[in-house]
Amino acid sequence: MSRSIFVVFAMLMLSLLVTLRSGARPQQGNAAPKTTASKIDESAEGEKRFRTNCGRCHHPPEDLSPREARAVIRQMRVRAMLSAEDERLILKFLAP
Amino acid sequence: MSRSRYLYFWASLTLIVVGASSSKAQDLVPVISGAAGFIYSKDSGQTALQPILSPVVLIPLGSKLLVESNVEMQGFVARSSPGGPYEGQYFFSVNYLQLDYVVNSHLTIVAGRFLSPFNIFSERIGPIWIQNFQDGPLIYPIGTRTSGSSDGGMIRGVVASRPGWLLNYTAFFSALNNSEDFAAGRAAGTRVGLFLPKANFEFGASYERFLQDHHSNSYGGYFVWQPTTQLSVKAEYAHSPQGQGYWIEGAYRFRESGPFGRELKNIQPIVRGQQFYRLAPGVNDALPQADTQRVDFGLNYYFPHEIRLNGSYGRQFSSTGNSNNWTLDLTYRFLSPVPFWPKGGR
Repeated sequence: MSRSIFVVFAMLMLSLLVTLRSGARPQQGNAAPKTTASKIDESAEGEKRFRTNCGRCHHPPEDLSPREARAVIRQMRVRAMLSAEDERLILKFLAP
Repeated sequence: MSRSRYLYFWASLTLIVVGASSSKAQDLVPVISGAAGFIYSKDSGQTALQPILSPVVLIPLGSKLLVESNVEMQGFVARSSPGGPYEGQYFFSVNYLQLDYVVNSHLTIVAGRFLSPFNIFSERIGPIWIQNFQDGPLIYPIGTRTSGSSDGGMIRGVVASRPGWLLNYTAFFSALNNSEDFAAGRAAGTRVGLFLPKANFEFGASYERFLQDHHSNSYGGYFVWQPTTQLSVKAEYAHSPQGQGYWIEGAYRFRESGPFGRELKNIQPIVRGQQFYRLAPGVNDALPQADTQRVDFGLNYYFPHEIRLNGSYGRQFSSTGNSNNWTLDLTYRFLSPVPFWPKGGR
């Protein structure tokens, strides 16, 4: 692959990004208000899923803000092939 | 700065700017993580010092897209001759620069440069802040070939998931690339894994067809098992026309609640055994030139703030000569939002 092909490939990727982004919708706002008890349950379930899916390779990060956790868990969803439900629950555990 | 690095720099910068415009709306913040490390090693009497910086940049775009990139900057300082002065070399590599499009749980489409998904070492255990032994397994070059990375496309996801099992897959194609920092071989391959959550056991198989020069097949298998939360066992087997071998590694993290738990909870003994059998002569295949056996013992100590100290000793047996291998390394894992990001803060 020559460098010029790589540049064209990078431009195509950018075009794809912008195109897909224009059609993307935020996922926020679809969650019903949770009680404290259900939040604790979800965090516990998230911890369980973290131990099962992520703990085989590494320990949980010590300090992760919700904004950082969203980016990290997105990468781990791809890397560890997590489901959308795993992603949501592990997020509750990492950054409640 | 070479042309490819110049290209990498501008491609990354452009992606960050594009990400800035699209991520703000969803309160998604790009993140810089990764690790800095320093490795002291004494291999067959040769001392080497290796500072490493391995940042990972994650740029989430909307709800489905992610740009992720990892480069590695590594120094290698060693004596050029016995008793001679120390001399340093510097290496730069782009491990991955990829765009992930998460369609759903069953399908994620990846384009760009990515870690070759052959077995699990490269993708899951390879980062310096994760791997227990800083020198990779003897069979690592099998299936990962040239650079350990591929340039092209990949699909991956979960075929099916039930309470008792989960079947995952990965398939990829890589084009030949001879540029300095984006080197990759022309190849195609696949990996399938089955995870049994109740037993905390995963096993799988990999296949790769190398599609240049003398076309050849590589295949392998792996398993990961966590019988308890403290104990972890991982193993890989790989075969290529040049050789075959396996490694198996165990790590044990002490319970905080057990006797001396407070003192021992940060300590993790580790052990690894490996065997490699040379099947055919190979030139520049990065595999041992003769049948080789090796055993390593080590200890991880986890300090607060994501700092880890690791020490290990390995003994290698080979017809080309037996050797002792000592390693001491310190790694610091960092993670923070990209500095100066709009709506900054965590």
